Amino acid sequence: MSRAIRTTVLAVLGLIWLLPVYLLLINASKAPETFTSTESWKPTDFSLFGNIGEAMRLSGLAESVASTLLYAVVSPAIAVLVGAAAGFAIVALKLRHGFAWFVLIFGGTVFPIQMILLPMFDAYSRMSLFDTRFGMIIVYTAISIPFSAFVMRNFFTGIAHSVFEAAVLDGASTWRIFLRVYLPMASSALVAIFILQATFIWNDFLLGLVLSQSDDVRPIVTSLAGMQSTYGGAQMSTVLAGGLLVSLPTVILFLFTQKFFARGLALGQ
Amino acid sequence: MTDKTPTAKTPGQRYRWSARGFIAPGVFLVAVLLYLPLLWTTFLSFTDYNGLGDPEWIGIENYVEMFDDPQFIGSVLNTLLWVGGTLLVPVGIGLGVALLTWNLKGGVWLRLPFLIPYALSGIGVAVIWSFILGSNGALDQALAAFGIADTPRWLVDSPLNTVVMILATSWQAVGVNALLFTIGLQSIPKEPLEAAKLDGATGFRLFRSILWPMLRPLTVVVIGLSIVASLKTFDIVQGMTKGGPGRSSETLALTMYRETFVNSEYGLGSAIAVFLTIVTLAAAILYLRQQLSSKNEG
Repeated sequence: MSRAIRTTVLAVLGLIWLLPVYLLLINASKAPETFTSTESWKPTDFSLFGNIGEAMRLSGLAESVASTLLYAVVSPAIAVLVGAAAGFAIVALKLRHGFAWFVLIFGGTVFPIQMILLPMFDAYSRMSLFDTRFGMIIVYTAISIPFSAFVMRNFFTGIAHSVFEAAVLDGASTWRIFLRVYLPMASSALVAIFILQATFIWNDFLLGLVLSQSDDVRPIVTSLAGMQSTYGGAQMSTVLAGGLLVSLPTVILFLFTQKFFARGLALGQ
Repeated sequence: MTDKTPTAKTPGQRYRWSARGFIAPGVFLVAVLLYLPLLWTTFLSFTDYNGLGDPEWIGIENYVEMFDDPQFIGSVLNTLLWVGGTLLVPVGIGLGVALLTWNLKGGVWLRLPFLIPYALSGIGVAVIWSFILGSNGALDQALAAFGIADTPRWLVDSPLNTVVMILATSWQAVGVNALLFTIGLQSIPKEPLEAAKLDGATGFRLFRSILWPMLRPLTVVVIGLSIVASLKTFDIVQGMTKGGPGRSSETLALTMYRETFVNSEYGLGSAIAVFLTIVTLAAAILYLRQQLSSKNEG
């Protein structure tokens, strides 16, 4: 196909793809008074910031922003370190039956999350972890570990074992070798895992739905869903503004780190 | 340490305890928070339990009840529709976009519109598309402008509601598939391509004889990812129709959620979770085995 045809086909398809984004932007910008559900395609006024402010107030979205940031930073950070430690034990320290332990950890991602929902809910209720930030951090950390261990084991396999032996001859302890030699070498992999898992946690709906309830614990996407079912009819432009607010961080992060993302996804298999 | 000859012992023995120390946190967290609940769900699927009192062992009764329910079968069929639909549309269009932008000047920019929706949450997609597909929503208004007034009720009529939700998901998922296929196309070595072009292969013939076979390993990954993800479809359906009207657009993940957390049928809900897991694992294993065996033959 000639370049002109290819460009035209892509441009037309691309415009179609942007239509929902256009609709989101113009309707999220309409003041609740000017918004009508029958004139969706025409922009009227620009009250986006007022709508975002209102959305933050409704359904506890503001509180959710803070706690979701906490989850999306702390859980992947812990998971990355725990995964790296597991990879280090298997590859550098040549843990006995290392591959079996690796399969055990990685196996944690194989089954659907539906398998852990009810026992987690039940156990969390009994242990007073239900609807706590601490409980959310633990569960997000646990589900991020298998992927993290997978990537880190692959990464450390690429480091020559002589690096480890040289550090031992210098008299460094294993703990020191891990912190000062292996972790710094793996910084790009650590960042890639962190970004992928942070995005996943930011976008989580189901765990938040099952394991939390109050505004200041509920993650942001779960709050958005609540807001949609409560105010979706009467205050549509506010809900759309909320959707925009919730989506912006991950969309921007993704657009700037596409390659990381795609590689991580391909690796994750 | 008194041992002066490090080679006398294998590293596995020398660092036995520190290796165990390093792997312990990962094993502990995964075992307690993933495997223990997994086993508990499996156990509960053979019991009658509503959260109060003790679970009562009833054998396979939950499973029998599950398959006796025609609406459960409907949920299975919807889930299959999701698997097939998300393979056909987003993977197909993604491949098309990757091929069209391949070696094209400005291809990076032309790919951008497809990438924007990818990092949205399922609920974010649901919010936008509920607005578009609602009765007399943005789509109906656009169609009315073209003189089509008698539009179907997109999110109400079944199975149309499942189809339009698959299309909404496709809107989101095309970008990442295009990105993965693009990376695959870029990694194809130049020589066989040049040779094929010298032989006069262009367009579809070039695709069939060179590109498609070389994209094969990546296609396996993309299709595998798509199948596993679509079997677990939850967020977008919960966000758009909540499985309704009635239970007409429920997927297995929604049926499991409703039985467990709405109806407090813990045993039945667990049985559905086990069923979903078996289907997911079976699909993954069958798919991989078929891929590996056909690779060996070729």
